[in-house]
Amino acid sequence: MSSVLEQIEQQIAKLSSKAVKKNTGVIRTVADGVAKIEGLSEVMYNEMVQFPGGAIGIALNLEEDEVGCVVLGDISKLKEGDEVQTTGRLLSVPVGKALLGRTVDALGNAVDGKGPIAAKEFFPVEKIAPGIIVRKSVSQPLFTGIMAIDSMIPIGRGQRELIIGDRGTGKTTIAIDTIINQAKINKVGLASGDPKFRPVYSIYVAVGQKNSNIVRTIAALEAAGALEYTIIVAAPAADNPANQYLAPYSGAAMGEWFMENGMDALIVYDDLSKHAVAYRQISLILKRPSGREAYPGDVFYLHSRLLERSARLDGKGSLTALPIIETLAGDVSAYIPTNVISITDGQIFLETDLFNQGIRPAVSVGLSVSRVGSAAQIKATKQVGGKLKGELAQFRELAAFAQFGSDLDAKTKAQLDRGSRIVELFKQPAFNPLPIELQVAVLFAMQRGFFDPVDVKKVVAAATSMKQFFTTRKDALLTEIRTKAALDKDLEAKLQAACEEWKPTFSA
Amino acid sequence: MASARKQVQQLARQLFRLSVIDGEVSAERVAGVLAYVEKNRPAHPVAVLRAYQRLISAEVARSRAVVDHAGPLAAGVLEAISAAMTRRYGRRITSSARRNDALIAGVRVRVGDDVYESSVAGQLEQLARAV
Repeated sequence: MSSVLEQIEQQIAKLSSKAVKKNTGVIRTVADGVAKIEGLSEVMYNEMVQFPGGAIGIALNLEEDEVGCVVLGDISKLKEGDEVQTTGRLLSVPVGKALLGRTVDALGNAVDGKGPIAAKEFFPVEKIAPGIIVRKSVSQPLFTGIMAIDSMIPIGRGQRELIIGDRGTGKTTIAIDTIINQAKINKVGLASGDPKFRPVYSIYVAVGQKNSNIVRTIAALEAAGALEYTIIVAAPAADNPANQYLAPYSGAAMGEWFMENGMDALIVYDDLSKHAVAYRQISLILKRPSGREAYPGDVFYLHSRLLERSARLDGKGSLTALPIIETLAGDVSAYIPTNVISITDGQIFLETDLFNQGIRPAVSVGLSVSRVGSAAQIKATKQVGGKLKGELAQFRELAAFAQFGSDLDAKTKAQLDRGSRIVELFKQPAFNPLPIELQVAVLFAMQRGFFDPVDVKKVVAAATSMKQFFTTRKDALLTEIRTKAALDKDLEAKLQAACEEWKPTFSA
Repeated sequence: MASARKQVQQLARQLFRLSVIDGEVSAERVAGVLAYVEKNRPAHPVAVLRAYQRLISAEVARSRAVVDHAGPLAAGVLEAISAAMTRRYGRRITSSARRNDALIAGVRVRVGDDVYESSVAGQLEQLARAV
């Protein structure tokens, strides 16, 4: 027996005395969050390196006799001559449902003061996007709760839809509305006990934003009861550029976990213009050759490799991306906007003029498009809103011409009246997404001319009254629309009757 | 500024290549290179010589195993390390011992950028990082 114990003892001794190999280097310079390191001859691109004092870095520049690393963490304690070592690992972040309702930094550390995150799994921050074979066409809708978008620019699960516009045009509001709507749908769906129901979890990545804005967003989500289905990844403006550069990839890794495990997720990158600026800053400090607008040559790859990770996988889940881009003076032909427009499957363009006219959300119907099209719409929406985009485009054209002439024929006047009513109908307050069944009911009423006798200025009030009427008195009808997802003759008759019933309740 | 630094690096690398024979730094070649630089002074001579020195010292370190040890080193250990490292790297590696009480016990062998950690201090550090 003692010989057996000796054998085990020897084995332990052998294991514990086994030498551990490390590849090391020495810091030559540290400045602006970037360290130049001599040595590290075996380091790999994007590998995590360990600095003294617990700080970590990522090897981004592999040169002949030095390595450029971005330092994630406090660089004030690092100095020339400090030893750095490779880890042989890629940067990973915690993933899973334990992150829901939490606010984390770019490395997945909790920053909300609610204690550490009990995540069991970790996913690499950088991952190659799924290939063609494993993907599936986008055909399931993801409702934003915004009538103008769901009826004219539908978004599907697994799609990448860009939200683009000048500052202060309501880009973030659209994203937040969408997240709130997912939470509302999740609550209804999970309460119904339908085994086929697939909840959508959301990830909101804030890049380069003011801390106050992030707090406001979190408060809005919390007030709407959406935070429990949402992960917030915060890399505020005060954070170092390395964290701002990494945050969208960290968020994507968290979203990929849901996708890989057969669930659906929505990720909002707010915003990629600031992300590109952070990457430009890092690249310039690393002395990489700069190109147009001083951005490095791989700025397209920066965003394409991120957005390609959003997909709908065959037999698994999906990851829908809503990247946000801020334009300057409505210029969509600038460098970063054109890059991201070409990567995504469509864009929602928000116009300052529309916003100032009080049309909110200020969606420009002419410039907005969803390349997935009606494949991501339920039949009921197609039935009531199929021609809306064309009608609105016609209205804009006629409205422009009508400014020059006073005499209009009856047909043109009718088209103008109808168009202006549609515009009014699409006005929607912030953080108040509409369920799809209610959208169908309102659009049905509009198509059947129930808003025609209402004065244009009172259309918003009429629509509000109709929504209240349906939610308080026609709940069964709304549930039927939601479950059937298509309008048959019976349902159309019921809707017609409900609208007739509503008509006298609203005094125009 | 950037191109001047690039030129310095290029010249230093050229001089370095001239100083190496069969993967080993030759003392005669280094002396020859230094004499050449003194006679034909390049632009930024100090920067060139500093870069050259860095390259040579990195190369010298690659063929030398520095054995840090806390306790007494048994006879024949250095030779055994030299032989093992020569086999591992496929080039002749000489060993030299250096006393380092901070290791507490065990040894740490450094060959160029690679460090083979088998000391108590190293294991404690690893443990501290894992906890």
